[in-house]
Amino acid sequence: MKTGIFICHCGHNIKHTVDVKKVSEYFKRFPGVVVSDDYPFVCSEPGQDMIQEAIRKHCLDRVIIASCTPSLHEELFKDVLKKADLNPFLLRRVGIREHCSWVGDDPELNTGKAIRLIKAGLYASAHYVPLEEKRVDVVKSGLIVGGGVSGLSAALFLSKMGMHVYLVEKDAELGGHVRLLKDVWPAREDGSAIVSRMVNELQTRENVEIFTSTTITEFEGFFGNYQATLNTSSGEKKVTAGGVVVAIGFTPFDPRLKPELNYGNDNRIMTTLEFESRKDSLALPENPRVAVLHCVGSRDEQAGRPYCSRVCCINALRVGDAVKDRYKDSYVESFYMDVRAHPKGGEEFFEDTQEKGVLFTRSNISEINLGPGGVILRGEDTLFGEPFEREFDLAVFSIGMSPPVDSKRISSLLKITLDKDKFFLEAHIKLRPFDTAVKGIFIAGSCSGPKDVEESINHGRASALKLYGFLNLGYAFVDPFISWVDPKRCSGCRMCEKACVAKAIRFDEEKRIVHVEEAACMGCGLCNSTCPSSAVNLKGHMDSYIDDEIGALMEVM
Amino acid sequence: MLEGRNAKNPEIIGFACSYCTFKASEMAGSLRMKYPDGVKLVQVPCSSRVDPAFVIKAVFEGADGVFVAGCHPGDCHFIKGNYFTRRKVAALKEMFDTFSIKDKLHLFWVSAAEGRRFVEKVSGMYNEIKEKKNAGKTN
Repeated sequence: MKTGIFICHCGHNIKHTVDVKKVSEYFKRFPGVVVSDDYPFVCSEPGQDMIQEAIRKHCLDRVIIASCTPSLHEELFKDVLKKADLNPFLLRRVGIREHCSWVGDDPELNTGKAIRLIKAGLYASAHYVPLEEKRVDVVKSGLIVGGGVSGLSAALFLSKMGMHVYLVEKDAELGGHVRLLKDVWPAREDGSAIVSRMVNELQTRENVEIFTSTTITEFEGFFGNYQATLNTSSGEKKVTAGGVVVAIGFTPFDPRLKPELNYGNDNRIMTTLEFESRKDSLALPENPRVAVLHCVGSRDEQAGRPYCSRVCCINALRVGDAVKDRYKDSYVESFYMDVRAHPKGGEEFFEDTQEKGVLFTRSNISEINLGPGGVILRGEDTLFGEPFEREFDLAVFSIGMSPPVDSKRISSLLKITLDKDKFFLEAHIKLRPFDTAVKGIFIAGSCSGPKDVEESINHGRASALKLYGFLNLGYAFVDPFISWVDPKRCSGCRMCEKACVAKAIRFDEEKRIVHVEEAACMGCGLCNSTCPSSAVNLKGHMDSYIDDEIGALMEVM
Repeated sequence: MLEGRNAKNPEIIGFACSYCTFKASEMAGSLRMKYPDGVKLVQVPCSSRVDPAFVIKAVFEGADGVFVAGCHPGDCHFIKGNYFTRRKVAALKEMFDTFSIKDKLHLFWVSAAEGRRFVEKVSGMYNEIKEKKNAGKTN
C-alpha cells in the first residue's frame, strides 16, 4: 500500500495553531506512507497539481488530505484523483481546521490532535476499496414550491432553459407578499406590476404547469426522481421532478404576540403593510402626529426573534417619508434601536428623511395605551436614559419577518434542516448558500432568512441555475454508499429486513438469505449495525473502517 | 504531547451523524467556538450506523467517555434512524450499568444549526468526566 498524506496550512488558519511541519515529519516514518507533505494551500491549482504529480510518480493508491472539513472541496479533490486515474473513493479527507485548529488555542495540544485525526484517517483508509459511482437517469423537470417572487423567478428561469416546471402555490393567487406592496423600494414600482409581469410571461410558456391553492402532501424518491403528491382543488395529482426549489417565503410578524403594544384593539395602530394599503383613506387631522416603531418582532429575544429582518428599517423610513410628503407640517417621530438601512441607497434615503424633518429617537417602547385624543406611547429614551410619554394620532409598526408557518411541515416532508430560528438552513452559509443537505433540493428567497425583493429574485434565479446544472445532462452520478450482503455470512434471520426504513432489504425465500435493492437503499447503515452476523456492510462505512478509526484515536503514541 | 496519553485529561470519542451533529461541529468550528482537544469525532452517515460494538470497543481501547449524537427525534434524515439509536443506547446503558461505567456513555441530539449546543454538550460532558477522573471515582 502506498499512501500519500497532504497537509494543508490553509494560509494562517491551520498553521498558526498546528505545527504542520512536525505533523508531516511524524507520518514520514510510517510504513506504507510514501509521501507526507505540507503545503500552504492544497486546494489551489499548484496544490492540486502537486497531488496529481505525486500520485503518478509514486503510484499512490491512498490519498489523505488533511485540511478543511470533509464536506468542503470534496468534489474538487475527488476530481483531482480522477484526473490522475485513481478511484476517487480511495480519498480520505481529515478535517484539521474546523475540528482542530479553529476549536483549540494550544499549539501543542492541537498538533497532537491533528496527528491523531490524520492517523485515524490513515488506519481507516487502509481498508478502503475502490467503488464505482452509480449513474442514474434524472428527470429534466423541476418542482418549485411557493409562488412568490423568488419562486416565480426560479420557475421562469428554469422554463427558459427548457426544463419542465411544476409551480405549486398554496394560495389562490401567485405573487406572495410582493403582490400586496404599493411601491417597492428603491424603484418605487408597484409590487403587483412586478408580479404580474412575471406571471404573464410564465403563463405563456408551454413547459410550465401552475398549481394554485395546492399543497404538497407526500414526497418521496431520490435525487433525479422525486415523486410529489399534490393536493389540488380538483383532487390529488402525482408529479415526478428531478429536483426541487423551496421558496415558501416568510410570515409577517404578528404584533399581537406583544400584547403591551395594543395592536388590533384600535385602528390608530397599524403595521407598515396596512399603512401602505390604507394611506389614501386615512382619517388624520390637519397636522397629524405619527409615531413609527422600528424592530417590532426583530432583534427581540423575548418575542423569539433575535435576528435582524433587514427590510423593516427601509419600510419604517418610507412611512415617515410618505407622511411628510402628504402633510408638510406633520410631526413624525421614529423610535429606533439602530437604523440599518440595508440595500444600496438606503443610507442616503435615511439622510433624506431626516432632512425632511422626521425626528429619530433612540428608544425602547415599553407600552402603548389608548387615550381619547390619541395613542399614548411610553418608553425610555436610551440616549438620555430618561423615560417619556407622548401622544400620537397614529402609530405604525415596522414589523419583522417570521419564518414561514409551513417551514416545520415542509422540512420534515423534504428532510431538509431548519436553523434555530425555524428558517431553512443552507448547506454552507458562504460556499453553498442555496443548497440543502439533500442533493437536488434547493432553497430560495426569504424562507432561508429575511431578504428584500431584489435579493429574493436573485436567490430564485441562482437556485434555478444550480438545479439546472444538476439535471442538465439527463443523468447524474450518486454516491455508491449502499449496503451489500455477504451471502456466505447471512443466516437469514431477517432482522435487517425489519429494521430497514426504506424497505430496501428483501428476503429471498429460495436461498433463505436477504439481498439489497440498490435503488431504494438510502445508505444509513442501520442494517449494518443490526446484523448479528456482520453479513450486511455499508459500502464506504464498513465496520473495519470505523473499528480502526477508533483504534487509531485511542492509540498510545 | 507525543509521549502517551495525558493521565489527567480525558479522551472522549463521539459518533456524530453526518446530517446533523457533524454539521453542527463544523459550524462550531467555523464560528471559532472552543472545546477541549480531548473530544474527537467519528463521522457516521446516521447515528443508527453506530454498532454497540463500536462503543464497547472505544471503552476497551481506553476512552474515558463515548457519546453518540444525532438529529433531534423526528428530524432524522433517514426517517427514524435515531429512534433505533435511542433504543440501542438505552440497552447499552443498562449493560454498562452492571459494570458501573454507565457515566461513560452519553446520548444527545444536536441539530445542524446548533453549533453552540454542540459545544455546550461536549464541554459539559468533558468537564464532568474530568472532575470524576481527577477525584479518582472512576479508573
